[in-house]
Amino acid sequence: MTETSKTLGPRKVSGVPIARPGRTAGVQTYIPEIAKGLAITMKHFFHNTKEMVLGQRNDPVLEAVEEGINTISYPEQRRPYPTRFRGLHRLTHRDDGSPRCVACLCCSTACPAQCIHIEAGEYPEGDPKRGYERFPKRFVIDELRCIFCGFCVEACPCDAIRMDTGMHAAPYDSRDQFIFERDLLMTFPGRDGSHATANPRHEPGESGHPGIDRAHGH
Amino acid sequence: MPEVILNALPYVIKFGLLGFAVAMFAMNLAVVLTWVDRRQGSMIQDRVGPNRAVAWLPTPIAQGLALGPAVLLALGVLGYCFKHEVEGPALEQRGIVFSQLAVLLLWMTGAVISAKVKARGPRNSFDLWIQTLGEPRFIFFGGLVAHVLLFFASIGLRGTPAGVTFAKVTSGAGPALFALAAVFGAGYAAFVIRNEKRIGLRLAGLLHPAADGLKTLFKEDFIPPNADRFLFNLAPFISFFPALVVLACVPFADTLCFATVDGKIQIGQLAASVPRVGVCTEGALKLQVLDFNIGILYFFAVAGTGIVGAALAGWASDNKYSLLGGLRAASQMVSYEVTMGLTLIGMIMVYGTLQVDKMILWQQENTWGIFAQPLAFVLFFAAAVAESKRIPFDIPEGESEIVAGYFTEYAGMKFAMFFFAEYIAVVTSAALMAAVFLGGWSLPFVFRDGIHLTVGSTSVFDAALPHGAIVALGAVGFILKTIVLCWLQLVIRWTLPRFRYDQLMRLGWRKLLPASLANILFTGFVVMAIRTGGAAVEHGMGVLANLCNLLLALGGLGLLVWFAVFMCTPRKRKQLLATTSAQYAAEVGGTRTLRMGA
Repeated sequence: MTETSKTLGPRKVSGVPIARPGRTAGVQTYIPEIAKGLAITMKHFFHNTKEMVLGQRNDPVLEAVEEGINTISYPEQRRPYPTRFRGLHRLTHRDDGSPRCVACLCCSTACPAQCIHIEAGEYPEGDPKRGYERFPKRFVIDELRCIFCGFCVEACPCDAIRMDTGMHAAPYDSRDQFIFERDLLMTFPGRDGSHATANPRHEPGESGHPGIDRAHGH
Repeated sequence: MPEVILNALPYVIKFGLLGFAVAMFAMNLAVVLTWVDRRQGSMIQDRVGPNRAVAWLPTPIAQGLALGPAVLLALGVLGYCFKHEVEGPALEQRGIVFSQLAVLLLWMTGAVISAKVKARGPRNSFDLWIQTLGEPRFIFFGGLVAHVLLFFASIGLRGTPAGVTFAKVTSGAGPALFALAAVFGAGYAAFVIRNEKRIGLRLAGLLHPAADGLKTLFKEDFIPPNADRFLFNLAPFISFFPALVVLACVPFADTLCFATVDGKIQIGQLAASVPRVGVCTEGALKLQVLDFNIGILYFFAVAGTGIVGAALAGWASDNKYSLLGGLRAASQMVSYEVTMGLTLIGMIMVYGTLQVDKMILWQQENTWGIFAQPLAFVLFFAAAVAESKRIPFDIPEGESEIVAGYFTEYAGMKFAMFFFAEYIAVVTSAALMAAVFLGGWSLPFVFRDGIHLTVGSTSVFDAALPHGAIVALGAVGFILKTIVLCWLQLVIRWTLPRFRYDQLMRLGWRKLLPASLANILFTGFVVMAIRTGGAAVEHGMGVLANLCNLLLALGGLGLLVWFAVFMCTPRKRKQLLATTSAQYAAEVGGTRTLRMGA
């Protein structure tokens, strides 16, 4: 109780008192103070107009700490997103250009917004991948429904879905334009411009492949 | 009857044309001001401001717009110089003018191209060559050196045999080089854009006010149900009209003298030169719409009717905010008109005339009015800003208190007329102040027959100039002074906060009014002392006036030099690559010109 009562009421303020600015003759006559203010306005005016006219504006990202106009004129200029920005999804490619996705439905299961729809397809009879993995016949993401949490990327066992495009969805004018199909998702490259990932993938028969398929069993 | 009409025709043409020119000047400057106010008003806050308005042109039309005028200009210059062969001093003059013009155009074209190449990288062999010259500002420095060298060469060689050859060479090579530079610059622009699909015409964002003006024409013309329809519609016109016609009493340039051959006036040919004192008796054209003896009183008489427009708008709108705004506008404008008028009494005592053109002649012979009456200038400036109801005196509009004041209920073009009238009032008051306080079209040491730099009775420099050049120089000077004063009013608007209503009234009646009365008293004593002082005092005042002019000329030159240095000094900047965003931006060479990827 004593502790609480101590904190109530006006407390003693510690610190160095700063003298209030007095009313000098300059302040009272108003004119010198106006001149000072106008001088500051003119300084900004001349500097910014000059840089605008000569095309010497600050780079709004690289030189953002400097004085001057740091506006990003959006459609013409844009700030690159940071490395770990979760942007539009992309489906990574295998060496032959097919999707790495094996239609395991991990991502659509993990998705809290339920924006991923996958229809899995089986490889034809005789294909070495048949029975070992499937492929997505359809892979649809509703980018309007997506909350960009990144759980799908975490859940994917094949590094097949990534959000490292560094792009955001463009403002389309109807909802169906936000529904991205498999082929569209496969056209987006990563930040480095490639459609692959750094993680290796071993096809059946290659060295490093565990050699497990339906014929050999676990 | 037809004879009467025929006799009246020249006057109709003269007043019509002059009036049209003056009204166009005020309105165009007002349009530019609305843009400057928004655009630069953003830029002082480190923002870009409205600049998105764009008109898309097909590439061939854009190429034509670049090449057409340039080719016409080049052909005109060459044709003029080949058709009119001249001898002696005229040849020398032509050489000086055209060689300087050619150098100016050359370095300007070079600097622009060099800056473009620096921004987007070289694309052809010419770009590569211009890159070897270094930064764009080196081209500017080179041009400056060439200007100075040419000037001193033409002065130094004057009168010698080498001077004759120099005049011949410069009068031949100057126009040719000028034409070549014009065509080359435009041709380069046309060549660079040849592969573009379309070219955006932005005019630095100047299309924005034009788009806004067009928009207001198509907006709904709203009239409140219980408003007085007739007065409501009348008010914007009453506000707009006086703002437009007050400039009629302000001369734009010195009186134009046309040449006379056998007593007949030659329209289309100016007199070669005129004497320093006196006005030509025949063939004189005053560059002023109305020339009458009440002069500046007309300005106040007409400007005063603007109050009626604001008051009517406030009353006719059937809105309490509007009424309050109208009352405030009326009381404020009446209060400050008293100060404005009384301030000018001092000027009228000094000049001894009410006519603005005679005031300017006095300033040409002595010195600018601001040196004779500095206090009057400050008072008049404050009162003029208050008179145009702009920040910091925009209490009649006071957005934070009474919505938009007297034009709350107005929409569309009628609102635009009030808005526009305000900006035209800025232009007209600036023009009047330029004429009364800053010498109008007169420049220091520039007289009707040429430049005479004298201090006291010692002559330092004399040079005769043709009549047309003097008048043109004066007109440019007047427009520049008007623009500077307009700009000063805008800077004030961008800087100062609004006064409270009682502060406004106290400033008007208790500070500015007594100060202007004291100014009249003091001026009276000084004018009396000078008039009774005799020749010695008069001579002393003359020397003082010359010193003031010298100060002005040196100050102007200093400002020019400072401006050139300021424009050429690059700003030191530090790049900060702390974030991955910045690292990505640095990888692609900065965000300034990066095109959107997505």
